[in-house]
Amino acid sequence: MNKEAIIKVEGVSVSFWQNNVGVYSLKDLITKRKSPFKSKTILNNINVEVFRGQSLGIVGRNGSGKSTLLRTIAGIIKPQKGTITVNGTFAPILAIGAGLELELTGYENISMLLALYGTKNSQGNSIEKISEFSELTDEVLAMPVKQYSSGMVARLAFSISLANDSDILIIDEVLAVGDQGFQAKCMEKIYEIKRQGKTILFVSHFPDDVLKICETAILLENGRITHAGDAKEICNNYKKLF
Amino acid sequence: MQSINKNNNVQNISRIYALSKRNVILRYKNSFVGFLWGFIKPLLFLMIFTVIFADNSGINNYTLYVTSGLILWFFFSNATSQSVGSIVGSAGLLKSLNIPSFFFPLSEVLGELFNLLLTMIVFLLLMNWAGMVYSPRLLLIVPCALIFAVFIYGLNLLLSSINVFFRDISIIWGTIQPAMFFLTPIAYPESNIREKYRAIIEMNPIYSFIKLGRNIFYSTEVPDWHQWSSCMLIAVVMFLIGQFVFNRLKNQFISAI
Ligand SMILES: Nc1ncnc2c1ncn2[C@@H]1O[C@H](COP(=O)(O)OP(=O)(O)OP(=O)(O)O)[C@@H](O)[C@H]1O
Ligand SMILES: [Mg+2]
Repeated sequence: MNKEAIIKVEGVSVSFWQNNVGVYSLKDLITKRKSPFKSKTILNNINVEVFRGQSLGIVGRNGSGKSTLLRTIAGIIKPQKGTITVNGTFAPILAIGAGLELELTGYENISMLLALYGTKNSQGNSIEKISEFSELTDEVLAMPVKQYSSGMVARLAFSISLANDSDILIIDEVLAVGDQGFQAKCMEKIYEIKRQGKTILFVSHFPDDVLKICETAILLENGRITHAGDAKEICNNYKKLF
Repeated sequence: MQSINKNNNVQNISRIYALSKRNVILRYKNSFVGFLWGFIKPLLFLMIFTVIFADNSGINNYTLYVTSGLILWFFFSNATSQSVGSIVGSAGLLKSLNIPSFFFPLSEVLGELFNLLLTMIVFLLLMNWAGMVYSPRLLLIVPCALIFAVFIYGLNLLLSSINVFFRDISIIWGTIQPAMFFLTPIAYPESNIREKYRAIIEMNPIYSFIKLGRNIFYSTEVPDWHQWSSCMLIAVVMFLIGQFVFNRLKNQFISAI
């Protein structure tokens, strides 16, 4: 395999504002250079390199910064320090219910999200493909998403996301809510995507899932990478945290 | 630095279109008469004002006078009220997709422009019945609405971005709108406002647009260049202010929604 870096994260730090300040700060917020909000460091000097075709697992406790790291890599959050270089395209982050509009029906969501994602293969049949993969019936897809069960939401989100032809797939613990059949199907699909030589960033709290998909992994603790390397080793480290 | 889904123009236009379409769909979702609300509201106001003011307003053709002002007022009022919460309400999308956040306030304005178009069709019939003569001059409403839309977009940038950090903005905005409405000569003639309070009208940017639109529908002369250029100036200034504030705040949206 040729080792071409597709994602390069160098010295990245991200901090968020903690908004607990009154109305007076509004003026300062807009006019001053320094923000009146106290900021809290969420990611601290992160360095990661991901090669084309690599699947990287990301594990860590709740609140250790996994979702934030994914969003930063995807360009959704701008880091205060450091640089991120990406040589490819992203599928939208696959998280529970991501981007679905609850009031709209499944079909309306599919066509809106396809347009928003800028999916390349948006021929007429991609709506069919999505509904077929999701195994949701016509009747269900004509219902507003707010009436879906959480597994149904995950099926829809997953199916729409996978309709994308991008180079990098980002999965933020979304598999857990699907039923066994759908989980197996998603795994199958993920393997297929892997075989196509695409890059996967995979967050999960289940080491077994991580091991099934990823060869390498990183362990995040309080916004820092404390361990990086072979997935098996990292998962052991992760289990030792508890 | 990053080539994320090749953010080219064609794609961005189709994204903005998809969001605007969503807004139009959402607006009439689960409502019985659907888009008719767009003109039931102004119609209701028209009826109330006709009962209260028409006879002693000193305005000839009161119906036409009020209607032309109301159409633009509701365009303004709907577009801004929907948009105040547009960033906050799009948390799901903003957190999962690298999409410029200004798309949301922008698509609210565009969705509302579409509604204005629908409303306008109905109101052109009503205004004709009230005595307005159809003429090519009426087409001037198109540039007028577009300039007003620029102003509204600038205001939306301001409101939606500050609302991310201070959610009171959406409540305040809903509260002060009726006050703004009555401080704008829509239901009564400009001359009702006494000389010493004239500043209220002169300082009211919204009135400039309402007046421009009303001149197109109601009066027989074409609005002069002075009126057009002052509207354009107000719109551009509002746009620049909105843009400035929005850009200052946008990098921290994700942490607050
Ligand atoms: N909007 C926000 N504003 C301020 N702090 C935030 C915000 N979102 C997350 N954080 C903080 O950032 C840290 C990391 O959050 P993140 O969502 O990245 O964790 P995570 O590793 O994905 O956790 P989980 O396993 O629960 O999904 C947490 O300490 C959290 O409190
Ligand atoms: Mg998370």
